[in-house]
Amino acid sequence: MRRTPLYDEHVTAGARLVPFAGFEMPVAYAGILREHDAVRHRAGLFDLSHMGQFYLTGDRVAEWADTLTINAVGTMKPLQARYNVFCNEAGGAHDDTIFYRLDGRWLLVVNAANADKMWSHLNAHKPSGVALANEHGRRALIAIQGPLSVEILQPHVDVDLASMRYYFAAEGRAGGFPAVIARTGYTGEDGFELFVDGGYAPKLWRELLRAGASAGLEACGLGARDVLRLEAGMPLYGHELTEEITPVQAGLSWALKLAKPEFIGRAALAAQRDRDDYSRIVGLVMEGRVPAREGYPVLLDGRRVGEIRSGSIAPSAGNRNVATALVAPEAATDGTALAVTIRGASHAARVVPLPFYKRAK
Amino acid sequence: MAQPEDLLFSKEHEWVKLDGDTATIGITDYAQNALGDIVYVELPKVGATIKQFSPVGVIESVKAVSDLFTPLSGEVLAINDALENDPAAVNREPYGGGWLLKLRVADPNEAKTLLPPADYEKIATE
Repeated sequence: MRRTPLYDEHVTAGARLVPFAGFEMPVAYAGILREHDAVRHRAGLFDLSHMGQFYLTGDRVAEWADTLTINAVGTMKPLQARYNVFCNEAGGAHDDTIFYRLDGRWLLVVNAANADKMWSHLNAHKPSGVALANEHGRRALIAIQGPLSVEILQPHVDVDLASMRYYFAAEGRAGGFPAVIARTGYTGEDGFELFVDGGYAPKLWRELLRAGASAGLEACGLGARDVLRLEAGMPLYGHELTEEITPVQAGLSWALKLAKPEFIGRAALAAQRDRDDYSRIVGLVMEGRVPAREGYPVLLDGRRVGEIRSGSIAPSAGNRNVATALVAPEAATDGTALAVTIRGASHAARVVPLPFYKRAK
Repeated sequence: MAQPEDLLFSKEHEWVKLDGDTATIGITDYAQNALGDIVYVELPKVGATIKQFSPVGVIESVKAVSDLFTPLSGEVLAINDALENDPAAVNREPYGGGWLLKLRVADPNEAKTLLPPADYEKIATE
Protein backbone atom coordinates (compact mmCIF):
# COMPACT_ATOMS: atom_id res chain seq x y z
CA MET A 1 0.00 0.00 0.00
CA ARG A 2 1.39 3.40 -0.97
CA ARG A 3 1.26 6.50 1.19
CA THR A 4 1.04 10.14 0.21
CA PRO A 5 3.58 12.65 1.56
CA LEU A 6 0.84 13.71 4.02
CA TYR A 7 0.30 10.24 5.52
CA ASP A 8 1.85 11.14 8.89
CA GLU A 9 -0.39 14.21 9.12
CA HIS A 10 -3.48 12.04 8.69
CA VAL A 11 -2.35 9.53 11.30
CA THR A 12 -1.53 12.27 13.79
CA ALA A 13 -4.95 13.85 13.21
CA GLY A 14 -6.67 10.54 13.93
CA ALA A 15 -8.14 10.26 10.44
CA ARG A 16 -9.82 7.03 9.43
CA LEU A 17 -7.64 5.56 6.68
CA VAL A 18 -8.86 3.22 3.98
CA PRO A 19 -7.22 1.67 0.92
CA PHE A 20 -8.07 3.68 -2.19
CA ALA A 21 -6.48 3.16 -5.58
CA GLY A 22 -3.43 1.60 -3.97
CA PHE A 23 -2.98 4.37 -1.41
CA GLU A 24 -3.84 4.54 2.28
CA MET A 25 -6.15 7.55 2.17
CA PRO A 26 -8.19 9.41 4.79
CA VAL A 27 -11.91 8.74 4.34
CA ALA A 28 -12.86 11.00 7.25
CA TYR A 29 -11.36 13.08 10.02
CA ALA A 30 -14.06 14.55 12.30
CA GLY A 31 -16.92 12.99 10.30
CA ILE A 32 -18.16 13.08 6.74
CA LEU A 33 -21.20 15.29 7.35
CA ARG A 34 -19.28 17.78 9.46
CA GLU A 35 -16.55 18.01 6.82
CA HIS A 36 -19.19 18.41 4.12
CA ASP A 37 -20.67 21.29 6.09
CA ALA A 38 -17.26 22.93 6.43
CA VAL A 39 -16.75 22.92 2.65
CA ARG A 40 -20.22 24.26 1.86
CA HIS A 41 -20.12 27.05 4.45
CA ARG A 42 -16.49 27.70 5.37
CA ALA A 43 -13.63 25.72 3.84
CA GLY A 44 -12.08 22.26 3.80
CA LEU A 45 -8.54 21.03 3.12
CA PHE A 46 -8.04 17.83 1.13
CA ASP A 47 -5.02 15.64 0.46
CA LEU A 48 -5.38 14.56 -3.16
CA SER A 49 -1.77 13.52 -3.60
CA HIS A 50 -2.91 10.08 -4.72
CA MET A 51 -4.03 11.56 -8.02
CA GLY A 52 -1.69 11.15 -10.94
CA GLN A 53 0.30 14.18 -12.10
CA PHE A 54 1.94 13.96 -15.51
CA TYR A 55 3.99 16.86 -16.85
CA LEU A 56 4.06 17.13 -20.64
CA THR A 57 6.55 19.21 -22.62
CA GLY A 58 7.30 19.85 -26.28
CA ASP A 59 5.91 22.01 -29.06
CA ARG A 60 3.49 19.34 -30.21
CA VAL A 61 1.79 18.50 -26.89
CA ALA A 62 -1.51 20.23 -27.67
CA GLU A 63 -1.73 18.95 -31.24
CA TRP A 64 -0.98 15.42 -30.03
CA ALA A 65 -3.29 15.52 -27.00
CA ASP A 66 -6.11 16.62 -29.26
CA THR A 67 -5.89 13.26 -31.03
CA LEU A 68 -6.43 11.38 -27.74
CA THR A 69 -9.14 13.47 -26.08
CA ILE A 70 -12.73 14.56 -26.72
CA ASN A 71 -12.40 18.19 -25.63
CA ALA A 72 -10.13 20.80 -27.24
CA VAL A 73 -6.60 21.16 -25.91
CA GLY A 74 -5.13 23.34 -28.68
CA THR A 75 -7.52 26.22 -28.03
CA MET A 76 -6.61 26.51 -24.34
CA LYS A 77 -5.28 29.90 -23.31
CA PRO A 78 -2.05 30.27 -21.31
CA LEU A 79 -2.66 29.20 -17.70
CA GLN A 80 -6.10 27.86 -18.49
CA ALA A 81 -7.41 24.57 -17.07
CA ARG A 82 -9.87 22.37 -18.91
CA TYR A 83 -11.79 19.17 -18.17
CA ASN A 84 -11.16 16.44 -20.73
CA VAL A 85 -11.88 12.77 -21.30
CA PHE A 86 -9.65 10.15 -22.92
CA CYS A 87 -11.75 7.49 -24.66
CA ASN A 88 -11.25 4.07 -26.16
CA GLU A 89 -12.17 3.34 -29.79
CA ALA A 90 -15.70 2.35 -28.73
CA GLY A 91 -16.15 5.71 -27.03
CA GLY A 92 -15.94 4.33 -23.48
CA ALA A 93 -14.02 6.51 -21.04
CA HIS A 94 -10.38 5.56 -20.49
CA ASP A 95 -10.09 8.33 -17.89
CA ASP A 96 -11.46 11.78 -17.12
CA THR A 97 -8.82 14.38 -16.45
CA ILE A 98 -7.89 18.03 -16.17
CA PHE A 99 -5.34 19.64 -18.46
CA TYR A 100 -3.48 22.70 -17.15
CA ARG A 101 -1.61 24.80 -19.69
CA LEU A 102 1.32 26.14 -17.68
CA ASP A 103 4.35 28.20 -18.60
CA GLY A 104 6.23 26.10 -21.16
CA ARG A 105 4.70 22.80 -20.00
CA TRP A 106 1.39 21.09 -19.46
CA LEU A 107 0.11 19.38 -16.35
CA LEU A 108 -2.29 16.50 -16.81
CA VAL A 109 -4.09 15.31 -13.67
CA VAL A 110 -5.48 11.80 -13.95
CA ASN A 111 -7.47 9.62 -11.57
CA ALA A 112 -5.38 7.69 -9.07
CA ALA A 113 -6.90 4.35 -10.05
CA ASN A 114 -6.15 5.07 -13.72
CA ALA A 115 -2.66 6.51 -13.36
CA ASP A 116 -0.77 3.39 -14.46
CA LYS A 117 -3.20 2.73 -17.30
CA MET A 118 -2.97 6.32 -18.47
CA TRP A 119 0.81 6.39 -18.26
CA SER A 120 0.93 3.36 -20.56
CA HIS A 121 -1.68 4.86 -22.87
CA LEU A 122 0.21 8.12 -23.24
CA ASN A 123 3.54 6.41 -23.82
CA ALA A 124 2.03 4.03 -26.37
CA HIS A 125 0.87 7.01 -28.44
CA LYS A 126 3.68 9.44 -27.74
CA PRO A 127 5.24 11.00 -30.83
CA SER A 128 8.78 12.28 -31.03
CA GLY A 129 9.04 15.84 -29.80
CA VAL A 130 6.83 15.22 -26.75
CA ALA A 131 8.37 14.42 -23.37
CA LEU A 132 6.41 12.97 -20.46
CA ALA A 133 7.28 13.02 -16.77
CA ASN A 134 5.38 10.88 -14.30
CA GLU A 135 5.18 12.57 -10.90
CA HIS A 136 2.49 10.27 -9.51
CA GLY A 137 3.06 9.87 -5.78
CA ARG A 138 6.02 12.25 -5.71
CA ARG A 139 4.32 15.60 -6.32
CA ALA A 140 1.59 16.40 -3.80
CA LEU A 141 -1.82 17.95 -4.39
CA ILE A 142 -3.55 19.88 -1.63
CA ALA A 143 -7.01 21.32 -2.33
CA ILE A 144 -8.73 24.04 -0.35
CA GLN A 145 -12.43 24.20 -1.16
CA GLY A 146 -15.24 26.35 0.17
CA PRO A 147 -16.51 29.94 0.21
CA LEU A 148 -13.72 31.16 2.53
CA SER A 149 -10.93 29.68 0.38
CA VAL A 150 -9.69 33.01 -1.01
CA GLU A 151 -9.61 34.64 2.40
CA ILE A 152 -7.85 31.72 4.09
CA LEU A 153 -5.34 30.95 1.34
CA GLN A 154 -4.38 34.45 0.20
CA PRO A 155 -1.86 35.23 2.98
CA HIS A 156 0.04 32.04 2.08
CA VAL A 157 0.50 32.56 -1.65
CA ASP A 158 2.21 35.19 -3.78
CA VAL A 159 -0.43 35.45 -6.48
CA ASP A 160 -3.65 37.50 -6.32
CA LEU A 161 -6.38 34.92 -5.83
CA ALA A 162 -9.40 37.20 -6.10
CA SER A 163 -8.47 38.13 -9.66
CA MET A 164 -7.77 34.53 -10.75
CA ARG A 165 -10.58 33.25 -12.96
CA TYR A 166 -12.34 29.93 -12.40
CA TYR A 167 -10.45 27.16 -14.24
CA PHE A 168 -7.28 29.18 -14.53
CA ALA A 169 -3.94 28.71 -12.78
CA ALA A 170 -0.77 30.55 -11.80
CA GLU A 171 2.77 29.48 -11.09
CA GLY A 172 3.96 31.02 -7.87
CA ARG A 173 4.66 30.10 -4.30
CA ALA A 174 2.54 28.59 -1.55
CA GLY A 175 3.92 28.64 1.98
CA GLY A 176 7.13 29.86 0.36
CA PHE A 177 7.45 26.76 -1.84
CA PRO A 178 7.18 26.66 -5.64
CA ALA A 179 3.61 25.75 -6.51
CA VAL A 180 1.08 25.56 -9.27
CA ILE A 181 -1.99 27.30 -7.87
CA ALA A 182 -5.22 26.62 -9.75
CA ARG A 183 -8.81 27.71 -9.22
CA THR A 184 -10.19 24.24 -9.78
CA GLY A 185 -11.88 21.60 -7.65
CA TYR A 186 -14.35 18.80 -7.32
CA THR A 187 -16.84 19.97 -4.73
CA GLY A 188 -19.14 22.50 -6.43
CA GLU A 189 -17.63 25.29 -4.33
CA ASP A 190 -15.06 27.97 -5.02
CA GLY A 191 -11.58 26.79 -4.21
CA PHE A 192 -8.01 26.16 -5.22
CA GLU A 193 -5.70 23.24 -5.87
CA LEU A 194 -2.04 23.50 -4.93
CA PHE A 195 0.46 21.30 -6.72
CA VAL A 196 3.75 21.17 -4.81
CA ASP A 197 6.68 18.87 -4.39
CA GLY A 198 5.89 16.13 -1.90
CA GLY A 199 8.71 17.21 0.38
CA TYR A 200 7.04 20.58 0.93
CA ALA A 201 3.52 19.26 1.42
CA PRO A 202 3.49 18.48 5.17
CA LYS A 203 4.70 21.96 6.14
CA LEU A 204 2.21 23.64 3.80
CA TRP A 205 -0.63 21.41 5.05
CA ARG A 206 0.11 22.23 8.69
CA GLU A 207 0.52 25.94 7.98
CA LEU A 208 -2.84 26.17 6.20
CA LEU A 209 -4.72 24.12 8.80
CA ARG A 210 -3.29 26.20 11.64
CA ALA A 211 -3.94 29.53 9.97
CA GLY A 212 -7.43 28.58 8.76
CA ALA A 213 -8.68 27.03 11.98
CA SER A 214 -10.20 30.23 13.34
CA ALA A 215 -12.13 30.69 10.07
CA GLY A 216 -13.45 27.14 10.33
CA LEU A 217 -11.08 25.36 7.93
CA GLU A 218 -11.19 21.61 8.50
CA ALA A 219 -9.21 18.67 7.17
CA CYS A 220 -11.56 16.68 4.93
CA GLY A 221 -11.45 13.13 3.65
CA LEU A 222 -12.53 11.31 0.55
CA GLY A 223 -15.93 10.52 2.10
CA ALA A 224 -16.96 14.17 2.19
CA ARG A 225 -15.45 14.72 -1.24
CA ASP A 226 -17.65 12.00 -2.72
CA VAL A 227 -20.84 13.51 -1.24
CA LEU A 228 -19.80 16.99 -2.41
CA ARG A 229 -19.04 15.92 -5.97
CA LEU A 230 -22.24 13.87 -6.23
CA GLU A 231 -24.35 16.83 -5.11
CA ALA A 232 -22.53 18.99 -7.65
CA GLY A 233 -23.35 16.48 -10.40
CA MET A 234 -19.72 15.73 -11.17
CA PRO A 235 -18.91 12.26 -12.53
CA LEU A 236 -16.59 9.92 -10.64
CA TYR A 237 -14.59 7.52 -12.76
CA GLY A 238 -15.66 3.93 -12.10
CA HIS A 239 -19.21 5.10 -11.40
CA GLU A 240 -20.63 7.53 -13.95
CA LEU A 241 -17.77 6.92 -16.41
CA THR A 242 -16.08 3.60 -17.18
CA GLU A 243 -14.45 1.86 -20.14
CA GLU A 244 -18.07 0.91 -21.02
CA ILE A 245 -19.88 4.15 -20.13
CA THR A 246 -19.11 6.90 -22.65
CA PRO A 247 -18.97 10.62 -21.93
CA VAL A 248 -22.07 11.03 -24.13
CA GLN A 249 -23.94 8.64 -21.83
CA ALA A 250 -22.58 10.47 -18.79
CA GLY A 251 -24.06 13.78 -19.98
CA LEU A 252 -20.69 15.21 -20.98
CA SER A 253 -21.56 16.01 -24.60
CA TRP A 254 -20.76 19.65 -23.82
CA ALA A 255 -17.11 18.54 -23.71
CA LEU A 256 -17.31 16.59 -26.97
CA LYS A 257 -15.70 18.67 -29.70
CA LEU A 258 -16.65 16.98 -32.96
CA ALA A 259 -15.14 19.93 -34.81
CA LYS A 260 -11.81 18.21 -34.14
CA PRO A 261 -11.18 16.09 -37.25
CA GLU A 262 -9.90 12.96 -35.53
CA PHE A 263 -9.44 11.56 -32.05
CA ILE A 264 -9.75 8.14 -30.45
CA GLY A 265 -13.43 7.32 -30.04
CA ARG A 266 -14.67 10.14 -32.24
CA ALA A 267 -16.62 8.02 -34.73
CA ALA A 268 -18.30 5.93 -32.03
CA LEU A 269 -19.23 8.96 -29.95
CA ALA A 270 -20.60 10.91 -32.92
CA ALA A 271 -22.73 7.95 -33.99
CA GLN A 272 -23.98 7.35 -30.46
CA ARG A 273 -24.92 10.98 -30.01
CA ASP A 274 -26.82 10.97 -33.31
CA ARG A 275 -28.70 7.74 -32.57
CA ASP A 276 -29.81 9.09 -29.19
CA ASP A 277 -30.89 5.56 -28.18
CA TYR A 278 -28.35 4.95 -25.44
CA SER A 279 -28.69 4.34 -21.71
CA ARG A 280 -27.69 7.48 -19.90
CA ILE A 281 -26.79 8.85 -16.49
CA VAL A 282 -29.64 10.64 -14.75
CA GLY A 283 -30.15 12.15 -11.33
CA LEU A 284 -32.58 10.44 -8.96
CA VAL A 285 -34.17 11.67 -5.77
CA MET A 286 -35.50 8.97 -3.48
CA GLU A 287 -39.00 9.70 -2.21
CA GLY A 288 -38.38 7.95 1.11
CA ARG A 289 -35.55 7.74 3.59
CA VAL A 290 -33.78 4.60 2.41
CA PRO A 291 -30.48 5.39 0.68
CA ALA A 292 -29.93 4.08 -2.84
CA ARG A 293 -26.52 2.47 -3.31
CA GLU A 294 -24.34 1.54 -6.27
CA GLY A 295 -25.61 -1.54 -8.11
CA TYR A 296 -29.22 -1.46 -6.93
CA PRO A 297 -31.67 -2.21 -9.79
CA VAL A 298 -33.81 0.63 -11.18
CA LEU A 299 -37.29 -0.18 -12.53
CA LEU A 300 -39.86 1.57 -14.71
CA ASP A 301 -43.37 0.12 -14.42
CA GLY A 302 -41.92 -3.04 -12.89
CA ARG A 303 -39.37 -3.57 -15.66
CA ARG A 304 -35.64 -3.26 -15.02
CA VAL A 305 -34.30 -0.27 -16.96
CA GLY A 306 -30.96 0.33 -15.28
CA GLU A 307 -28.97 0.53 -12.06
CA ILE A 308 -27.72 2.96 -9.45
CA ARG A 309 -24.13 4.13 -10.09
CA SER A 310 -23.62 6.40 -7.02
CA GLY A 311 -25.85 7.24 -4.09
CA SER A 312 -25.70 9.26 -0.90
CA ILE A 313 -27.61 11.41 1.47
CA ALA A 314 -27.37 14.98 0.16
CA PRO A 315 -27.24 17.56 2.96
CA SER A 316 -27.16 20.39 0.39
CA ALA A 317 -30.22 19.05 -1.45
CA GLY A 318 -32.74 19.09 1.37
CA ASN A 319 -31.10 16.14 3.15
CA ARG A 320 -32.78 13.82 0.63
CA ASN A 321 -31.22 10.61 -0.59
CA VAL A 322 -29.96 11.25 -4.10
CA ALA A 323 -28.32 9.01 -6.66
CA THR A 324 -27.09 8.76 -10.18
CA ALA A 325 -28.42 5.90 -12.28
CA LEU A 326 -27.60 4.57 -15.72
CA VAL A 327 -31.05 4.05 -17.29
CA ALA A 328 -32.64 3.31 -20.65
CA PRO A 329 -33.68 6.42 -22.62
CA GLU A 330 -37.40 5.89 -21.98
CA ALA A 331 -36.70 6.17 -18.25
CA ALA A 332 -34.49 9.26 -18.49
CA THR A 333 -36.96 12.14 -18.80
CA ASP A 334 -37.02 14.58 -15.88
CA GLY A 335 -39.96 13.84 -13.60
CA THR A 336 -40.22 10.16 -14.54
CA ALA A 337 -41.38 8.03 -11.60
CA LEU A 338 -39.02 5.07 -11.14
CA ALA A 339 -38.49 2.46 -8.44
CA VAL A 340 -35.26 1.28 -6.85
CA THR A 341 -35.06 -2.26 -5.48
CA ILE A 342 -33.43 -2.19 -2.05
CA ARG A 343 -33.07 -5.47 -0.14
CA GLY A 344 -35.96 -6.93 -2.10
CA ALA A 345 -38.35 -4.04 -1.56
CA SER A 346 -39.40 -1.40 -4.07
CA HIS A 347 -38.72 2.25 -3.19
CA ALA A 348 -40.05 5.21 -5.18
CA ALA A 349 -37.65 7.59 -6.91
CA ARG A 350 -37.98 10.44 -9.38
CA VAL A 351 -35.73 11.57 -12.22
CA VAL A 352 -34.43 15.11 -11.64
CA PRO A 353 -32.01 17.32 -13.56
CA LEU A 354 -28.36 17.34 -12.46
CA PRO A 355 -26.75 18.86 -10.50
CA PHE A 356 -28.53 18.35 -7.19
CA TYR A 357 -26.76 21.40 -5.79
CA LYS A 358 -25.51 24.59 -7.36
CA ARG A 359 -23.81 27.27 -5.34
CA ALA A 360 -25.16 30.82 -5.34
CA LYS A 361 -22.86 33.04 -7.40
CA MET B 1 -15.51 6.23 26.29
CA ALA B 2 -15.79 3.72 29.14
CA GLN B 3 -18.67 1.30 28.83
CA PRO B 4 -21.70 1.87 31.08
CA GLU B 5 -21.49 -0.59 33.99
CA ASP B 6 -25.11 -1.80 33.93
CA LEU B 7 -24.96 -3.16 30.36
CA LEU B 8 -23.97 -6.41 28.68
CA PHE B 9 -22.28 -6.53 25.30
CA SER B 10 -21.99 -8.71 22.21
CA LYS B 11 -18.85 -9.22 20.15
CA GLU B 12 -20.77 -7.60 17.28
CA HIS B 13 -20.79 -4.33 19.28
CA GLU B 14 -24.38 -4.32 20.49
CA TRP B 15 -25.33 -3.51 24.08
CA VAL B 16 -28.19 -4.94 26.16
CA LYS B 17 -29.86 -3.47 29.21
CA LEU B 18 -31.88 -6.06 31.12
CA ASP B 19 -34.88 -5.08 33.21
CA GLY B 20 -36.71 -8.21 34.35
CA ASP B 21 -37.59 -10.05 31.13
CA THR B 22 -37.33 -6.90 29.02
CA ALA B 23 -34.12 -6.10 27.15
CA THR B 24 -33.30 -2.74 25.57
CA ILE B 25 -30.79 -3.04 22.75
CA GLY B 26 -28.51 -0.60 20.98
CA ILE B 27 -25.09 -0.35 19.38
CA THR B 28 -22.01 0.68 21.30
CA ASP B 29 -20.14 3.93 21.18
CA TYR B 30 -17.29 2.10 19.49
CA ALA B 31 -19.68 0.83 16.81
CA GLN B 32 -21.25 4.21 16.06
CA ASN B 33 -17.83 5.77 15.87
CA ALA B 34 -16.57 3.11 13.46
CA LEU B 35 -19.66 3.46 11.25
CA GLY B 36 -19.51 7.24 11.09
CA ASP B 37 -22.53 9.44 10.39
CA ILE B 38 -25.62 7.21 10.52
CA VAL B 39 -28.25 8.20 7.97
CA TYR B 40 -30.79 5.36 8.07
CA VAL B 41 -31.83 2.62 10.49
CA GLU B 42 -34.07 -0.28 9.48
CA LEU B 43 -35.54 -2.18 12.45
CA PRO B 44 -37.69 -5.32 12.77
CA LYS B 45 -41.44 -4.98 13.15
CA VAL B 46 -43.03 -4.84 16.60
CA GLY B 47 -44.34 -8.31 17.37
CA ALA B 48 -41.66 -10.07 15.33
CA THR B 49 -39.80 -12.97 16.94
CA ILE B 50 -36.05 -12.69 16.48
CA LYS B 51 -33.24 -15.11 17.16
CA GLN B 52 -29.97 -14.44 18.96
CA PHE B 53 -27.05 -13.33 16.73
CA SER B 54 -29.20 -13.29 13.57
CA PRO B 55 -29.47 -10.19 11.35
CA VAL B 56 -32.64 -8.29 12.23
CA GLY B 57 -32.12 -4.91 10.62
CA VAL B 58 -29.77 -2.57 8.85
CA ILE B 59 -27.76 0.46 9.88
CA GLU B 60 -26.58 2.71 7.09
CA SER B 61 -23.87 5.32 7.37
CA VAL B 62 -23.00 7.80 4.65
CA LYS B 63 -20.58 5.29 3.15
CA ALA B 64 -21.81 1.82 4.09
CA VAL B 65 -24.65 -0.59 4.81
CA SER B 66 -24.18 -2.76 7.91
CA ASP B 67 -26.33 -5.56 9.29
CA LEU B 68 -27.76 -5.21 12.77
CA PHE B 69 -27.58 -8.42 14.82
CA THR B 70 -29.69 -9.06 17.88
CA PRO B 71 -27.69 -10.07 20.95
CA LEU B 72 -30.70 -11.95 22.41
CA SER B 73 -33.71 -13.91 21.17
CA GLY B 74 -37.22 -12.73 21.86
CA GLU B 75 -40.31 -10.89 20.75
CA VAL B 76 -39.92 -7.28 19.64
CA LEU B 77 -41.91 -5.11 22.08
CA ALA B 78 -40.94 -1.70 20.73
CA ILE B 79 -38.66 -0.02 18.25
CA ASN B 80 -37.23 3.48 18.48
CA ASP B 81 -39.46 5.36 16.04
CA ALA B 82 -37.61 8.62 16.66
CA LEU B 83 -34.68 7.26 14.62
CA GLU B 84 -36.74 7.51 11.45
CA ASN B 85 -36.43 11.29 11.55
CA ASP B 86 -33.22 11.46 13.56
CA PRO B 87 -30.93 8.49 12.84
CA ALA B 88 -27.98 10.59 14.04
CA ALA B 89 -29.25 10.06 17.59
CA VAL B 90 -27.41 6.74 17.40
CA ASN B 91 -24.17 8.70 16.93
CA ARG B 92 -24.96 11.30 19.59
CA GLU B 93 -26.38 9.07 22.33
CA PRO B 94 -25.63 5.42 21.55
CA TYR B 95 -26.54 4.38 25.14
CA GLY B 96 -29.49 6.78 25.52
CA GLY B 97 -31.81 8.32 22.94
CA GLY B 98 -30.14 6.24 20.24
CA TRP B 99 -31.47 2.89 21.54
CA LEU B 100 -32.80 0.62 18.80
CA LEU B 101 -35.35 -1.88 20.13
CA LYS B 102 -36.88 -3.55 23.16
CA LEU B 103 -37.37 -7.30 23.43
CA ARG B 104 -39.27 -9.67 25.67
CA VAL B 105 -36.38 -12.04 26.40
CA ALA B 106 -37.13 -15.62 25.30
CA ASP B 107 -34.34 -17.37 27.18
CA PRO B 108 -32.62 -15.72 30.18
CA ASN B 109 -29.70 -18.14 29.80
CA GLU B 110 -28.65 -16.45 26.55
CA ALA B 111 -27.51 -13.43 28.57
CA LYS B 112 -24.69 -15.60 29.93
CA THR B 113 -23.13 -15.66 26.46
CA LEU B 114 -22.79 -11.86 26.52
CA LEU B 115 -19.82 -9.90 27.81
CA PRO B 116 -19.53 -7.75 30.92
CA PRO B 117 -18.24 -4.18 30.36
CA ALA B 118 -14.60 -4.90 31.19
CA ASP B 119 -14.44 -7.80 28.70
CA TYR B 120 -16.10 -5.77 25.96
CA GLU B 121 -13.73 -2.89 26.62
CA LYS B 122 -10.85 -5.19 25.65
CA ILE B 123 -12.46 -6.03 22.31
CA ALA B 124 -13.33 -2.43 21.55
CA THR B 125 -9.85 -1.15 22.28
CA GLU B 126 -7.93 -3.90 20.47
